Amino acid sequence: MIFAYLDAGSGSLLLQAILGGLAGVAVAARAWKARLSGRKMIEEAVAEGEGTTDNPVLTSEN
Amino acid sequence: MTTPDPGSFRDPASRIVLDGKRVLRLLDDRGLTSWQAVQTSDFYKGAVDEGKVVESRETAESMDGAAAVLEHPRLALITYPYEWTFSMLRDAALLQLDLLAGALRSGLTIKDATPFNIQFERGRPIFIDVGSFEPYQKGEPWLGYRQFCRQFLYPLMLRAWLDVPFQPWLRGDMEGPTAAQMRSLLGGKKRLSAARLLHVSLQARLEAGMSGEAVRKDLGRAGFNETMILNNVTRLRSLVESLVWDPGNTGWVDYGACAHVGRDREAKSRFLAEVLGRHRPRRVVDLGANEGHYTAIAEEGGVLAVAVDGDEGVLDRLYRRHIGVGIALSDLANPSPSQGWAGAERPDLFTRLAPDLVVAYGVIHHLIYTASIPPGVVLDWLRDLGAVVALEYVSPDDEMVAKLTANKLDTELHQGRTEEEFRTLLADRFLVGREQGLGSGTRVLFEITPR
Repeated sequence: MIFAYLDAGSGSLLLQAILGGLAGVAVAARAWKARLSGRKMIEEAVAEGEGTTDNPVLTSEN
Repeated sequence: MTTPDPGSFRDPASRIVLDGKRVLRLLDDRGLTSWQAVQTSDFYKGAVDEGKVVESRETAESMDGAAAVLEHPRLALITYPYEWTFSMLRDAALLQLDLLAGALRSGLTIKDATPFNIQFERGRPIFIDVGSFEPYQKGEPWLGYRQFCRQFLYPLMLRAWLDVPFQPWLRGDMEGPTAAQMRSLLGGKKRLSAARLLHVSLQARLEAGMSGEAVRKDLGRAGFNETMILNNVTRLRSLVESLVWDPGNTGWVDYGACAHVGRDREAKSRFLAEVLGRHRPRRVVDLGANEGHYTAIAEEGGVLAVAVDGDEGVLDRLYRRHIGVGIALSDLANPSPSQGWAGAERPDLFTRLAPDLVVAYGVIHHLIYTASIPPGVVLDWLRDLGAVVALEYVSPDDEMVAKLTANKLDTELHQGRTEEEFRTLLADRFLVGREQGLGSGTRVLFEITPR
């Protein structure tokens, strides 16, 4: 991984794929899909963990 | 004894320290790995040979736990983007993009994109942060894209599209406008274009909607590659080239046509040449330089001569002549202060200029009459520069002063304006050497040395 000392900005990073040509748009779409499924996984984990005392998602560290 | 450069601390892989007059770059292990890849590339060697990237020499020194120490030549003049004209920032942007494209084609990249990594030497931009180059890793995006937009692209758009100077913004916020701020500034008045929609509006929307999300790895997994960065860089280059600004004949652009300028030019040039010959300065600063006629005379001797003026139009024309003089855009009544982290990251303009001879032709009457600074205070400031001054005094009877004071009552003007009063103020602060009256009878040249 390239060493980053500056905040590249999440939206700006995704935009770069869109600006990268047709193939880039497809990459942006895949990355967007991965983002949505990542969110869904978190939401599902939260839903499954509700009512339990051992919930890794809802601890204060998160 | 080394001292850290106050403007080089953000990147732990590579930081600048000053050892007397030597400029040293300390690399950590990661920085050394990058340097080893960079220095052997034909791209890097070519860029150095063409004067686009500063030279670097690896030293055998061991210093402050650094994995390696590089030495760079010391630049004669440091200026910041808020002291550049439109064409200077535009050329710097093109250099940044060209270097990134060249680096990517050689398996390298540039990890940031800030004009603070570029300086001007003999009228040409040069990239000075060798530590910004590193090997490109497959799947990585261009981390400097947002920074490029904020510090290069949006400021250029401000001037080219809205005719709003970017320097006050960059001086107030050195990070540059955000995409959201730029979207607001463009409002509904400017034509819709793909560049505006993508680099400004869409970026603002995505930035707002995705703050803090881990996109970087997702992009790599989704197949992002360097060709996509190159496509973006190619289009950005065309966009930057399409951004143009014509200052027209506004401000001081047509100053050379004024009667007194042509009338006195020869006598003032001769007087300056004599002062230069007597003092043989190494660093000359021409205050209120306008088209740079006297700056160019000072530069002929091979010294560093810097044109300082508050009018972007005249300095932009001077820059585009590429005659090798330094350029610093700054209002003399409000010069760039020391600012940034701890108030010291970017030193103030006159600390950086450090002149040993100052040309103050046709300028102090503007400070006195337009900026309403008392003559004695103006002379205090000039004395504190610690340099010999070639000074032009303009009396209250002069036709230009009459214009500057057309709407002011005598009682609203400071004491010390008359030649007799001014000479007293001058003698209190300076040793007055040669002097010469000009043809108008209302102007006198003085060669003065601080007491």
